[in-house]
Amino acid sequence: MRDDAAWLTGDRPSVTELEDRAFELRSKLLHLCGTYEGAVHIGGDLSAADIFTALFHYGLRVDPHDISNPRRDRFLLSKGHAAVCMYIAMSMRGFFSYEGIVETYGKLDSAYGMHPCKVQLPGVEASTGSLGHGLPLAVGMALSARGRGESHRVVCLLGDGETGEGSVWEAAMAARSNELGNLVAFIDRNRQLMTSFTEERVVFEPYPDKWRAFGWNVVEIDGHDMAALVKAIDELPPADSDRPTVVVCETVKGKGVDFMEHNLAWHAGSLGAADLERAMAALEASREETV
Amino acid sequence: MPVTFTFGEMLSARSVIGSTLAELGETHDNLWVLTPDIGATLVEFREKYPERFLDVGLAEQACVGIAAGLAYDGNIPVVSGMLPFLSMRALEQVRSDVCYPNLPVKIIGTHGGLVGNGGSTHYAVEDLALMCALTNMTVTSIGDPLMVGEVLRQSMTMRGPIYIRLAVGKQDVVLYEPGEHDVRIGKGIVARDGTDATIFTHGTVVAQALQAAEELAADGRSVRVVDVFTLKPIDEDLIAQCADETHGRFVVLEDHLAYGGLATRIADVVADRGIHLTAFERLGIPQVYAGFGDDEELRDKHGYGLGATIAATRRVIAQPSWPSSH
Ligand SMILES: Cc1ncc(C[n+]2csc(CCOP(=O)(O)OP(=O)(O)O)c2C)c(N)n1
Ligand SMILES: [Mg+2]
Repeated sequence: MRDDAAWLTGDRPSVTELEDRAFELRSKLLHLCGTYEGAVHIGGDLSAADIFTALFHYGLRVDPHDISNPRRDRFLLSKGHAAVCMYIAMSMRGFFSYEGIVETYGKLDSAYGMHPCKVQLPGVEASTGSLGHGLPLAVGMALSARGRGESHRVVCLLGDGETGEGSVWEAAMAARSNELGNLVAFIDRNRQLMTSFTEERVVFEPYPDKWRAFGWNVVEIDGHDMAALVKAIDELPPADSDRPTVVVCETVKGKGVDFMEHNLAWHAGSLGAADLERAMAALEASREETV
Repeated sequence: MPVTFTFGEMLSARSVIGSTLAELGETHDNLWVLTPDIGATLVEFREKYPERFLDVGLAEQACVGIAAGLAYDGNIPVVSGMLPFLSMRALEQVRSDVCYPNLPVKIIGTHGGLVGNGGSTHYAVEDLALMCALTNMTVTSIGDPLMVGEVLRQSMTMRGPIYIRLAVGKQDVVLYEPGEHDVRIGKGIVARDGTDATIFTHGTVVAQALQAAEELAADGRSVRVVDVFTLKPIDEDLIAQCADETHGRFVVLEDHLAYGGLATRIADVVADRGIHLTAFERLGIPQVYAGFGDDEELRDKHGYGLGATIAATRRVIAQPSWPSSH
């Protein structure tokens, strides 16, 4: 049973409201990608934007005004290169100042850079970016919660390419062995790594079966379908159950901007002013399509 | 395709790696190229020799282990990737699978030092200390993009493993004209001669050392710059010679932890050989997780930028000669 800490009260946004927020998140990401002089990992930001929105605006029991509450859900961004997507999603939930992100991103001594830095940015749960670290950390936190009899969840977002790392499967095995029903992994299954498409050089399929074979509860959804994300969150087994859950989210890298979608060149990059306009127009157009 | 250039221009070390590997693939039919999803600059090799190219995806440990397996069977594998992950995630594979049996695996990669603005997970700052600790490993760190090609070529006849460290490798200053220096693994390069003091350095900050020497020349100081691109085995004789010829005044500048890298290796030589120094200053990364910022800003912030290099060099030059009581 989950207790009713402050963050549980109040109405949660509807699917339509969440979709609007995901659109806003994508617009803000494109804006940064068009104004920041360095590269932004825009492909994997856009593929995960709906997942971030569903988590930070619906699923996670977190309170921007009480970031060290021991009973908060923990969120670990294992695919740390999507940090800026997390910063902005969190800023929209009241954690950080969006202006602060835009003004200082990547600058000397900024708290906001290419990968999350817990030392400089309280509110993120761990410094990640080297792929394959998030799930073991999440297992540790979930074990601790279990040991203390706490009812919060530990949620970890991974890239599909990232799950090539052995440490992911070592942690997956530990999670099942220790019956961590309070652990939830979301996989951004965008079928791309940095330099290749999955199945091209590295075969991932049958992907959900791999998790099943490790004894996890597997949920498969369209990671851009907000209603499906909400449903997956609503239907998570109770935190005191005995199997970790993985939500395999089928996504599109670069989602929402036609020239970035399924395009290896947009794993990371920067938009000039002209391309920013083009990207925004594409994003608008793709929204119209889905309405 | 041969690389064309003019002295002083910028060139991408990654493109040199790409073209050199494609060239070596032709002359060595046992050359393999492996990468853990960092293969963007290996396209030429991949297209020419798809049967000897392997991208394992995000799996640095397996990548190095597979390379060792290939090497056991007479192949020459080159593993290309990002050094924070190759030097740390795959460290045990490098040590026990590659170095222990002394296999000719070449590990080449980028992100050595506070470069690339990826934050602390993405800077290889301890890598040279780790690699220098490994028996049988040859350790290099290269600033001049063309030298990367030369070192790769020379490494083809080596029996054991080699580690080749680069910075970001996208925009590198061409430091030397080809043929200007005798580039040999294990030998330092006197990049600029001088008599008042020596700055020992390697990698991307060689350019900064040369600039410091140039600025000091404006006020009549004659500063030698030695590019110690091979940290292991280190050119002991050159170190001894510089002590003799530059009054035992040493500055060591590196984009690596100030303790554990080149400065430590030079200090070891000085102690072991009983070389008398007048002054010794080390400039490098302090024991901190450095955070975000561009390369130059981070070097300034952490005390090993251009200004600090000039100041340290002035200090060692101002130090009274040893023994000062004379
Ligand atoms: C251990 C490690 N190796 C390499 C990298 C460099 N890198 C960053 S993102 C990436 C591709 C990741 O692919 P995936 O996990 O599928 O992420 P996404 O497609 O969501 O961007 C690579 C190789 C890294 N950050 N960490
Ligand atoms: Mg992916």
